[in-house]
Amino acid sequence: MSDALPLKGLRVVDVSRVYAMPYAAAHLADMGAEVIRVEACHIPDTRLQLFALPDNQPGELWWERSGTFHTLNRGKRSLTLDLTKGDALEPLKQLIAKSDVVIENYTPRVSRRFGLDYPSLKKLKEDIILLSNTGYGHSGPWSEYGAVAATLESVHGTGAFMAYDGVPAKIGNSYTDFIAAWTAVFALMAALIHRRRTGRGLWIDLAMYQVGASFVGEGILDHAFNGRRQRPLGNRHLSWSPHGCYPCRGDDEWVTIAVRDDQEWQTLCGAIGKLELAKSPKYADPASRYERQDEVDRWISEWTRTRDKHEIMNTLQSVGVPCGVVMKARDMFKDTHYKARGFFEGVHHSPDSGIGEKPYISRGWRSSGMESRIQGPGPSLGEANEYVLRDILGLSAGDVARLEREGVIGRSPVGASSPRPLPLEQQKLLGWIQDYDVDYKERLG
Amino acid sequence: MLGQVLDGIKILELGGGKASSFCARLLADYGADVIKLEAPGSGDVLRRHGPFVGNTPHAEKSIPFLYLNTNKRSITLDIVSPTGCLILKRLAQWANVVVEGHSPSHLKGFGMGYEALSSENPSLVMTSITPFGQMGPYRDYKASDIVTTAMSGLMYLSGDADKEPIRNALDQSLYVAGTQAAGATLAAVYQGMATSKGQHIDVSITECMALHLVQAVSSYAYMGAVRGRRSPMNSGLDEVMPCADGYVLPSAQGSQPWEVAVELLGVEEMKAPKFSTAEGRIAHGPELYDLLIKGLWKWNRKDLFHASAERRLLFGMVQDAGDLFECPQLRSRGFYTKGTNLEADGVEFPGEIVRLSEGSYRMQRPAPLLGQHNEEVYCGMLGYGKEEMSLLRRWGVI
Repeated sequence: MSDALPLKGLRVVDVSRVYAMPYAAAHLADMGAEVIRVEACHIPDTRLQLFALPDNQPGELWWERSGTFHTLNRGKRSLTLDLTKGDALEPLKQLIAKSDVVIENYTPRVSRRFGLDYPSLKKLKEDIILLSNTGYGHSGPWSEYGAVAATLESVHGTGAFMAYDGVPAKIGNSYTDFIAAWTAVFALMAALIHRRRTGRGLWIDLAMYQVGASFVGEGILDHAFNGRRQRPLGNRHLSWSPHGCYPCRGDDEWVTIAVRDDQEWQTLCGAIGKLELAKSPKYADPASRYERQDEVDRWISEWTRTRDKHEIMNTLQSVGVPCGVVMKARDMFKDTHYKARGFFEGVHHSPDSGIGEKPYISRGWRSSGMESRIQGPGPSLGEANEYVLRDILGLSAGDVARLEREGVIGRSPVGASSPRPLPLEQQKLLGWIQDYDVDYKERLG
Repeated sequence: MLGQVLDGIKILELGGGKASSFCARLLADYGADVIKLEAPGSGDVLRRHGPFVGNTPHAEKSIPFLYLNTNKRSITLDIVSPTGCLILKRLAQWANVVVEGHSPSHLKGFGMGYEALSSENPSLVMTSITPFGQMGPYRDYKASDIVTTAMSGLMYLSGDADKEPIRNALDQSLYVAGTQAAGATLAAVYQGMATSKGQHIDVSITECMALHLVQAVSSYAYMGAVRGRRSPMNSGLDEVMPCADGYVLPSAQGSQPWEVAVELLGVEEMKAPKFSTAEGRIAHGPELYDLLIKGLWKWNRKDLFHASAERRLLFGMVQDAGDLFECPQLRSRGFYTKGTNLEADGVEFPGEIVRLSEGSYRMQRPAPLLGQHNEEVYCGMLGYGKEEMSLLRRWGVI
């Protein structure tokens, strides 16, 4: 069934770090590509993240146990290479010469220093596809500026369009990393089509800033035409009303409701037992409802506050009013819709990791003609050293042993020690997590 | 001259909405030939979405429509009518890809679902983009961005812990889904180049957004922890803070020592040893907050942004649409290009989402007027005569 995995036979060298590009490369692995993650023993990257350790225990093999790492690097192989040591760049270059795609996210200066710029890689392999991901792009006055998603989201404009009472809000959750990842997959697929048709490779210069600006392009165009600089509406909507997020029964439980026309308004009034509002000319059209939305929101909240969020959604949806539960991760796992679509894919981890089988977020689409799925967990550090250096590159056992002696390759972290996560109860008190379920395994089923 | 990377890929776009429009626009931006089918009279639903050029509602002046439909052609066709169905089948034979945003049962309802179109053209790739996907108990639920964002789990994590969850700016879930759909569509096209087989891709906007929950989902699956919205540290770091002319985000992230940030802001009291560690900055958060206010008050956001970047600090600033429009970085990269239709004449559009070393983005044509390319497509491509066209027009088919 190899023709049901479109990227079967393709080799991707992933020298990127953190979130955005590792995640993009993981999606290529889901589609059948052989993705070789190149990492250094002294840079633990997301292997060190504490957000998700099995039962909050780092264990002896802590660098193999981060759920964040496994999500971002599922289905890959791992080659360790400390690029700052000895002639470590030599095996990397040889590997690139036998690969199809290279993904990196160094700043332009560092990528040139490592010889990972497109002209250099083209000399190694004429039709190579190189994706370079940076904060601001490889050209322009800001090209050497460093960036992280946490601040980029405001620089590229999304912050100005979300607000609590007019003060810009933070999206959080590394939003910019993700939109860069989806753009990377799109650009890489376009490049692969180009290569299949013309035999030519190309260079993708992906600037996260530019992706972010594209995602608020309609706001920029509103400025270009109308001179408007921003319109932070919070949970409200320019032309629909009511439109918002309403509290439900329980602790920090919410639903969202979007009334898009007068018909939906009438229906909503009936559902919440406020037929007199439906008849009142004061609320007859979206503009007058928008004017009085504080008041309308109070009526809706009064009704939602005492009810279960799922019950509210099902009640309103059954009469055709757009309404959705504000899901927490715990809700998603037991949700019948996510289940029916097989959104979470189970992955078996190696016995020595002590992780067992875990469910993972998969992808946003299913296809009748592709068997994309998570091919396996993230790789253990350096597990593919022998495979890459001996089988692909043909190095001798002596050469590999020398690289190991010189500390270029290895199988365990250097200079980092086991993290010590705080107990969950303490994390809850500090506000790092909202809650925890001691019986989560039973709940997951 | 070299063409664009997606030159020659033929795409039909059916049904309205931002997600499918953005998906097809990305493909058109890099060379695909996109024909957008719109309902005669009313056109794409986006044409009724504001804001409008000059702030007056008009089918040719919707800013979201103008933004999301550059590089496409538009024809009108009543695909529900029997004659419309016949024409749609002919267009499906022409196309490599159909991108559609109708509700799951709509096309099937009049016999124009994937099975029917693929029997006309077995190598056809069809990408359907809906809030919850083609199957599953919520498939027919009604939704807009605030509903899909809520259901994806991302909204619960967005905003501050002491306030309500907040949705992202400007229908972000629809842009996220459009981009992922474009990637999946091209994967299917790439696969089809080897197998000559078509396929039906079922995109769920909600699931596309749920993919952002890397930490929250693994936290629960690994240790039963429920992540929520961020609790402000009240130290001012990595929070939106006021400065002389707007808002900035002072950050202690990155590899630079704390002293570099202290030096930049020039507030003597921040040198106190109690602030020198991350733990200390959290423990003395409110005090640090006041000192930051004192330091930031002297700065304009852009000056601070550049000064911090030059010192390899990772400070952010809040930019609005005007800042982005004037931005020297975006301008030097050629992000803005001129549109050329009547309404857009002279106005510069944000364009290239990603730069390719060859065959990259090009602004070939502005967003089409409703049915602007009827004659070109019906007469030029499908071979209808002028009389047949006026007949179709009289029947309300086009």
